Amino acid sequence: MKTDRILDCTGLFCPMPIIKTKVLLDTMKSGQVLEIDSDDPGFEKDLAAWCKMTGEKFVGIEKDGSILKGYVIKK
Amino acid sequence: MKDKMTIVLFSGELDKAIAAFTLATTAAASNMDVSIFFTFWGLNILKKSRFTITRFQGPIQKMFNLMSTSKLPLSRLNMFGLGPWMMKRLMKRTGMASLEDLMILAKQLKIKYIACTTSCGVLGLSKESLAGVVDEFAGASSYLNEAKDSKINLFI
Repeated sequence: MKTDRILDCTGLFCPMPIIKTKVLLDTMKSGQVLEIDSDDPGFEKDLAAWCKMTGEKFVGIEKDGSILKGYVIKK
Repeated sequence: MKDKMTIVLFSGELDKAIAAFTLATTAAASNMDVSIFFTFWGLNILKKSRFTITRFQGPIQKMFNLMSTSKLPLSRLNMFGLGPWMMKRLMKRTGMASLEDLMILAKQLKIKYIACTTSCGVLGLSKESLAGVVDEFAGASSYLNEAKDSKINLFI
């Protein structure tokens, strides 16, 4: 998937990946795609739930070994 | 209108404060308006210095401020202060955000801090002995007024 920005959150635990996602997404334009890399196993469910709350478009999660790659389209 | 969340932060323990601020910052990052109402031992989190003793306090107030300080204990396995030290080391090593980090984030995310004036009065705490981050000094009615329009209300 073509991404506009990549956010590396490996080594961080909840709530940091979600908060960093929010801060970076706030600086992006509507329709742009953000990839977030995280090795926190809870991130898979958390990113989907956060998108549901905020209305950002959740594309999906790709697993690359222990790394979860989450994709979000800015609303 | 934005959703709201309120937390009554009654406890002055490190682990409980981290739990409260983890939820508060996440809610604020999910476009909610978040208020934290600090009361009783929760005020220890906001103390500017470790011992908040002033000449206006009575002997019992002085004793409470000497024995219950901004050096927060753990709610379990405190081990006379060894517990928090070990927990902080462990958190640093595993990459968990510290309470200090979360509190800086909380202010960046515009979380509102309300300090309970009754608790301040009982414990002899002046506005000057608390950190400048407090937005309001108020009582139960102010809290309830916010909580009644809020979807999530927690007591920690």
